[in-house]
Amino acid sequence: METTKREAATQSQKLMVFVLTMALYGLATLLTELIPSFQAGIVEFSVEYFLFIPLTLAMLFDPLSAALGAATGELVFSEIMLGQFGGLGELEKFLTVTIGVYVAGRMVKNPANRAMVGVAAITGTGLQLFLGMLVDIMKVQFAVEDFEAVAGLPESVFATEGFAFLNDLLFSGILFCLLPTLFLVPRLYGKIEPLLGMQPRTEKTFLGGINVKVILGCLAAFVVAAGAELLATSGMPLIEWEADWAESSTALAVGIVAAAVLSVIVLLVIKKRAEKPQRAQA
Amino acid sequence: MEMKAKKKLSENILDKFTIDFLRSQVLKNAYGNDDTVIAKLDPRILIVWYLFLGLVPWFVSDIYFLMGCFLLVVVTTMLARVAGLVLFLFGIGVFSQTGYLFIVTLLFGGDASAIAPLLTLTLKVACCSLASITVFSGLDPDRLSNGLMWFGCPERLSFSISYAYRILPMLMEEFQNILLSFRLRGNPPASQTFWGKVKYLAYQVKTIMHAFYPLMLNTAKRSRTTVEALEIKGYRLAATDKRVKKMRLASLKVTWDDLMFLAVSFLWISLSILASTIF
Repeated sequence: METTKREAATQSQKLMVFVLTMALYGLATLLTELIPSFQAGIVEFSVEYFLFIPLTLAMLFDPLSAALGAATGELVFSEIMLGQFGGLGELEKFLTVTIGVYVAGRMVKNPANRAMVGVAAITGTGLQLFLGMLVDIMKVQFAVEDFEAVAGLPESVFATEGFAFLNDLLFSGILFCLLPTLFLVPRLYGKIEPLLGMQPRTEKTFLGGINVKVILGCLAAFVVAAGAELLATSGMPLIEWEADWAESSTALAVGIVAAAVLSVIVLLVIKKRAEKPQRAQA
Repeated sequence: MEMKAKKKLSENILDKFTIDFLRSQVLKNAYGNDDTVIAKLDPRILIVWYLFLGLVPWFVSDIYFLMGCFLLVVVTTMLARVAGLVLFLFGIGVFSQTGYLFIVTLLFGGDASAIAPLLTLTLKVACCSLASITVFSGLDPDRLSNGLMWFGCPERLSFSISYAYRILPMLMEEFQNILLSFRLRGNPPASQTFWGKVKYLAYQVKTIMHAFYPLMLNTAKRSRTTVEALEIKGYRLAATDKRVKKMRLASLKVTWDDLMFLAVSFLWISLSILASTIF
């Protein structure tokens, strides 16, 4: 009984939170793709994302399920469904969203305390954006070779990324993460939990604040995220290997082409033969 | 004159982007094209194909090879008959990733020498995205999630994909209904002057934010029902049971057509390697 009283919810309740966050955040990220962004001077106003949804839910329910649900929702709805799946690189976005939402969810002890909710919302958003910026800078540095050689490119990357970070934090962060979270959390608190058959979060059932374990976990996740991104974009030794190999052997390439032609022909013949008996039967 | 054309264009785009349009595009993308060549292929073969074309271009910077890959994925995207909205978003995505960078490079005193590395980068990005569009939009969601499951992806992910495609149309409809009821009861500010337009936009955004309040409550109820229904069917045990997985994956079968697809792709890629060694 002790375990059901604590906020550590049962497995099926965690699944409910996961499904709820995934569906809602997925819908919201789909909508984000469509709200037009407009430019005022060099300041770009765009609805970066509706992060307030997972933030709200992470503050009210189990933070880890909400964080994972949000990241999965974004992956499935806006990347896979719209066919914009970027392979290994998506791991980075997945993990940074998870970290940001999870940390924000762990910070809030009492959802009725507006000040804490606000601080947590802006911290979570800022964390996610900052990690994203770090990885983005590394990504461009590794993807474009002769990075330093192209005039003006390094400065421009730092400038655009840094500026995008501030812009996102001040515009999207406040308008689309902080204010809606402040509006929604106190309103939903105590109303939405019974719908999932749970007790509202109180100081007693709260999981415990940010401790060393959480920080270490987040750091490890970030290292994985950055590593995946770099692996997806760098491949430095492979490029050199490719260059050596490309110079030497046209003959080898001819051989590969011949093998490919041969395999196509063999497959054609086999397919014809496989179809013949079927027709004879019919 | 230009202003007028611009205004008209933006109005046209805004007209098209209703929630109904979005819903129909997503549904079309998911279920509307299961009679194409790509949709008939085995998901596992397509995923292997994607792993090659989605990863290898990142590691290679040879322009002929990249061009070869790019042309291949353009053809497969055409074969998959992907919905227009997806292609539009793809175009915007590619431009925002590299075109924007080019403009800023120019601002910081770079010159035309920045084009060559950025062109390579653009080709890489375009190639990987189109490969993913072919695979993930071309395939039926159920086949896709079966394919992913075969490769040992977490059950959660394949469940999410199948569930997402089913729940999304419903969620969109519900969201639209809530928005409509807000609009019926609300009193939007006049939008004639410039300041009025800003206020109108703020009002719209606020309405969308507020609409999530009832939507969250409704979805909470629905997700509880969903999970309880899943529990009745023993979902959590089935998700970890090997026998269930075997039964689910029994429908997958590699045919000669699949191998043919791989062989032709291989032939094309090897031709582009040949081109890169000759020139």
